[in-house]
Amino acid sequence: MSLVLREVRYRYAGSARAALDGIDLILEPGTVLGVVGANEAGKSTLCLVAAGLAPATIGGRLEGTVTIDDLATSSARPHDLAQRCGILFQNPATQLSGTAATVWEEVAFAPRNLGLPLDEIVDRVESALAALRIEHLAERDPQRLSGGQAQLVALAGVLVLRPRYLVLDEPTSQLDPLGTRLVGEALTGLVEATGAGILVVEHKTDLLAGLAATIAVLAGGRVALSGPATDILADDALEALGVEPPSRVRLERAARHAGVSLPAAV
Amino acid sequence: MLGVIVGSATAARIGRAFVPYLLATIPLIASILLVNTFLYPGATDRIVVLGPIAPTWTGLEAATQAALRVVAFAMSVALLGLTTSADHLVADLERRGAGRRLIFVVGSTLRMVPRMIERAVEITEAQRARGLDTEGHAWRRVRGIVPLAGPLIFGALTDVEELTMALEARGFSAPVRRTAIRTFPDSPGQRIARWVIGVGALALLALSIGGRLAGLP
Amino acid sequence: MPASPSRQRSEGRGVTSAGRGIDLEASGLGFVYPDGTRALEGVDLRIPAGDVVAIVGQNGSGKSTLVRHFDGLLRATEGRVAVDGVDVGRRHVAELARLVGVVFQNPDRQIFAGRVRTEVAFGARNLGLRGAALDERVAAALEWVGLTEHTADNPYDLGYSKRKLLAMASILAMETPAVILDEPTTGQDLVGVARVRSIVADLAAAGRTVVAISHDMRFVAETFGRVIVMQAGRIVLDGTPGEVFARSNWGVLAATYLEPPLAARIGAAAGLGSTPTEATLVAALLAGRISPPG
Repeated sequence: MSLVLREVRYRYAGSARAALDGIDLILEPGTVLGVVGANEAGKSTLCLVAAGLAPATIGGRLEGTVTIDDLATSSARPHDLAQRCGILFQNPATQLSGTAATVWEEVAFAPRNLGLPLDEIVDRVESALAALRIEHLAERDPQRLSGGQAQLVALAGVLVLRPRYLVLDEPTSQLDPLGTRLVGEALTGLVEATGAGILVVEHKTDLLAGLAATIAVLAGGRVALSGPATDILADDALEALGVEPPSRVRLERAARHAGVSLPAAV
Repeated sequence: MLGVIVGSATAARIGRAFVPYLLATIPLIASILLVNTFLYPGATDRIVVLGPIAPTWTGLEAATQAALRVVAFAMSVALLGLTTSADHLVADLERRGAGRRLIFVVGSTLRMVPRMIERAVEITEAQRARGLDTEGHAWRRVRGIVPLAGPLIFGALTDVEELTMALEARGFSAPVRRTAIRTFPDSPGQRIARWVIGVGALALLALSIGGRLAGLP
Repeated sequence: MPASPSRQRSEGRGVTSAGRGIDLEASGLGFVYPDGTRALEGVDLRIPAGDVVAIVGQNGSGKSTLVRHFDGLLRATEGRVAVDGVDVGRRHVAELARLVGVVFQNPDRQIFAGRVRTEVAFGARNLGLRGAALDERVAAALEWVGLTEHTADNPYDLGYSKRKLLAMASILAMETPAVILDEPTTGQDLVGVARVRSIVADLAAAGRTVVAISHDMRFVAETFGRVIVMQAGRIVLDGTPGEVFARSNWGVLAATYLEPPLAARIGAAAGLGSTPTEATLVAALLAGRISPPG
C-alpha cells in the first residue's frame, strides 16, 4: 500500500493552465521523497494534490488518479484524507488554529474535531509531542513560540492523526538557521518514530541530502528527473532545471574542473 | 441593575479596573446631560433662565436616566470583559453545543487582532520606506489608504485561504461533535444566580413595557 | 559590439549624482521597545560609502531592528545614528527614503497596485518623479530585475520569487545611494538567487552602499566583502568572510547556532587556512597550501 499519483493532471479552479501536467509518482511508507524544482514548477500544487486537499477542499479539476492507500482522493472527504495524509505548509503562523491557549490544546485540535474519546486524545497528543521531542513546549502559548518551534507544533498537530503519509511544503523556508536545524533534526527521526512516508519539498538541497532517499525534480508540472538522492543531486542537469545542487556537489565539481581533488568528507 | 453590577464587581474584587471604562463614558454622558437638560422638547419647568436657553427639570430627569443607562451598560460590558477570559468563554460555549464554526470564529478573532496589528505595522513601515508620507497634511494621508489597506486586506484574504486548508487538513469539517476537554465548576449558587438575573431582567423589561403601554392615551 | 546592458547600467549609475554611495554609521546605538524589551545594545558600526555588507544572526538577534534605524523607522533610545555624515535626528522617514532604500522580506506586505509598473513607480513617484523621467526609471528597474515582460501584468499573477524581485525593483527605481535588503534570497529558486547576486554586484560596481540581511551563509560568503554577526542585540563578529568564518571564530558562531559554509569547513579540516568560498578553496587546493589550523 502506498500513496500513488498516476497520470495526474491538475488545474486550479478558474485557471486555464495545467499546474500539473502528467505526474507519475509513488510514495512508500517509511521513506523520505524529496521534491525540488524551480518556483512555479508545480511543487506546491503537487503537495496539495498528493494530500488530497486538491480537489477536496480547494476544488479545481483533477485528471488521472491519486490514491492514498486504498482511498481515491477525488471522492474522499477532507477529514478522511486528514487521517491518511497530513500536510504542513511554509508559514507557521497561519497553521495554528489561533484558538488554543497551550501547545497541548493546539495539538489536540484535530482529534477533538473527530470526536475521539478523551483518553485517546491524551495518548495521541503525548506521542505526537514525543515523536518531535517537544514535550517541554506543552504548556507554552502557541502564539509566543519561535518560528521553528511553531512549525514543530503545527507538525505535531498533523501527526496527531497518525497519518501513514506526510507532505511538507518548504517547511523551513521561513525559518532562521536554528529553526531550520530544529525542524531538520525532527524530520530525520520522524520516519523511525512513526514509519510514515514523507514527501518534502525544499529549495535547500543541503538539507535534503541528509534526509531524502529518493528525489524527484519537477519542471513545468512534470517530473523531469527522479531516482536515488545521491544520483539526482549530483546530476549535471540540476542547474538547468532551476535547482541549486548541494554545497558538496558544487565544490566537488569546481575542484574537478580545476584539476584538484576535494579532501575527504568533513 | 447598577446595584447588582456593583455587588458582583466587589465580589470579584475588580472595582478599580472599572475606572478606565467609566472614564471612557464621560464624553458621552456629558453630552447627554447637556443636550437633554437644555434642549428637552416641550419641557416648561425651568430651573433658571439664562437668556434664550434654559435648562429644565424634566430635561435633567431624562438626562439622568439616560446617563445611568449608559453607565450601567458600560459597566456590564466591562464586567464581562474583566471577569471572563476568552478561553473560558469559548470553551463554555462549546460545552453547551454551539457549532464549531461559531466557536472558531469567536475564538480566533480574539487572537487574530494582535497579529493583524503586527502586520499593519509591517505594511506601514514598508510603504513609509518608499516615501509614503504618514506625517504630513491630512489630504496627503488620504492617498495612503490604498497602499496601507490594500496589502492588509489581501493578506487577510490569503491568510483565510491558508488557514482554511490547514484546518480542513485537521478534520475541521468532520460531521461529529467535538470532544470537550474542559469542565467548569458550576456551583448551584451560580446556576441560581443566573436564573435570578435572567428572570429579573425579563421582569423589569415587562414592567417597563407595560408601564409605557399604560401611559399611552 | 555594444556593452552588455548590465555593464552599461553600472557604468552609468556610478556617475549619476544619486549613484554615489553614502556612509551609514551607528555609535553606541541602543534600542529598547516600548514594552521594555531590549533589542540593541552598544552597537558601534561604520559602513563607509560603497561597502557591501551582510548582517547575519538568528531571529531576534537585532538585525532587522538595526537596519530600521538607518531609514528612520525606528529611533535610537541610546546613542547616535548618522546617514551620509549627518545625524538622523528628527528627519522624517520620507526624507531618509531618498537616501536609504529598504526592501523588506515579504513582498506581499507592500504590493498594492494592480499593475507591475504602477507598483514599481510608487517609490520614485513619492520622491517627486513624474512623466517621462519616471517611466524611464521604471523601465530601467524592471529590466534590471528581469521583469520587463511582466510590465503590464497584475503583480499577483507573478509567483512569489518574481514578486520579491518586483519589490526590489520598486526600491531600485528610487535610485537611493544606499540600499538595504532584508532576506533577499529567502524563498528564491536558483534563478532568483542568481538575479539577486547580479543586482548586488551591479550596485557595488556603481559604488552604492549595500547592506543585506541573510540566513544563507554560502550566499553571504560568496557575495559580500564584509560580514557582521549579531547575537542578542550586539555585534559579535565583524570582518571579511575569510576572517569571520575562520576556524578561530567557530566557537562564537556555534554559540549563536550558525554554521560556516562547507567550503570553510573543508578548508579548515584539510589545514588550508580560511577558505570561505568555492573560489578560495579551489585556489588553496591548487596552491597546495598547508597552514596551521587556526
